Amino acid sequence: MTVTLHDLRLADPRLSRFDPMRRIICFDDFDRGYCGWTQLVGNYEHTLDSMTASYAAHTHPQLATVSHWDAGTHGGVDGTYALKIATRPKRGIRSTAIKRLTFREAGPIRLEFYFTFKPEATELRLSETDVRSVGFLYDLQTGYEQNGLRVMPHIRFLNAENGKHIQRWQYKDETTPVREIGTEGKTATHDHLAPFGWKDIPGGEQKLCYNEIPTKINWHYMRFDFDLATMRMIEMQCNDRRYDLAGIPNIVIPAMRNLWCMLNLVFFAEAETDKRVFLYIDSVCLSGEF
Amino acid sequence: MLRESHTAIIARNERWQGEAATEPFEAGWASEAIFFLRALAAEGPTGDGRAYVQISPDGMRWVDEGTTAQVPDAAEGIAVLRVAHFGSWLRLRVTLPAGATLTPVVALSLKA
Repeated sequence: MTVTLHDLRLADPRLSRFDPMRRIICFDDFDRGYCGWTQLVGNYEHTLDSMTASYAAHTHPQLATVSHWDAGTHGGVDGTYALKIATRPKRGIRSTAIKRLTFREAGPIRLEFYFTFKPEATELRLSETDVRSVGFLYDLQTGYEQNGLRVMPHIRFLNAENGKHIQRWQYKDETTPVREIGTEGKTATHDHLAPFGWKDIPGGEQKLCYNEIPTKINWHYMRFDFDLATMRMIEMQCNDRRYDLAGIPNIVIPAMRNLWCMLNLVFFAEAETDKRVFLYIDSVCLSGEF
Repeated sequence: MLRESHTAIIARNERWQGEAATEPFEAGWASEAIFFLRALAAEGPTGDGRAYVQISPDGMRWVDEGTTAQVPDAAEGIAVLRVAHFGSWLRLRVTLPAGATLTPVVALSLKA
């Protein structure tokens, strides 16, 4: 009997819930710690007051047990801990977590992770429209020898808006103008997650399992395929549904002088009401076809 | 396995007056923690303020843990609050007298 790479992965309970490409770039199981996920701090120079307000509102990610006042600890997919991205309790505010890498091979990559989300359980009601959205993005820049672009594919699950339970996948291809920071000509910023310009992915409606009270969670599978050679989205899958992303544009701006081959991964959550919202991730597998 | 260790910045460049508190922070994996309350700026009688470590059964309801410290009375002053045996959630509560404004950076240093 010939044992394939695929067979080996199916026999490993840490990897059997993923379908990685040939090379696993990183596998972040939050029972092993933070695995390089950290706070996305905004850019500044000379004073922290120069930081964009929406970035200053980001909080620090947490290793959470997904515990609740009524039933205690929920735990992760296969252990105790999950990465928690928590917003502050304010409508329209967001929070993020980031992992900063660079790439060595400009080819197809695959991001897979399990996620779930809930608002803070401050009320004895389902509160299914208190989370505006959860999502993820890459912050990429081509290599110095490539064509000089910064490319930022953004995907979110618009859960609710203005009290309506929408449940639809969206993308974003617009950002704010780049703003120079400070006086040295070395630092700039733009607010790519600013709340405008989100567009529906065709056929992107999806009814995710949400459960029946604010403290019961179910984990969802996500896969997102992207090609670093063409800097284009390929396809994504959430649970039982697949979405062709071949025609979906990214945010694209000119390259910046100090970000060559950047491969940043970001998760984010947005609050729809004056209540904290929590995005939990457990775990993350990034792989590439090289 | 090495002991997990992590520094979380749980407040940065906010303007604190009167009563203030950091956002809830989950750290049930840690067995020891130090809050470093650093003053980026201190205006008025901030040194008459106090910082209190708080713990919580659910991340929503808070009780004083018992550890307190004087708030720094000048820029670049650092107050230190050490705690252990704190359950799953931590935060820092600060009370400041009238006329005092503190601009903090709060680093929460955690170790398994």
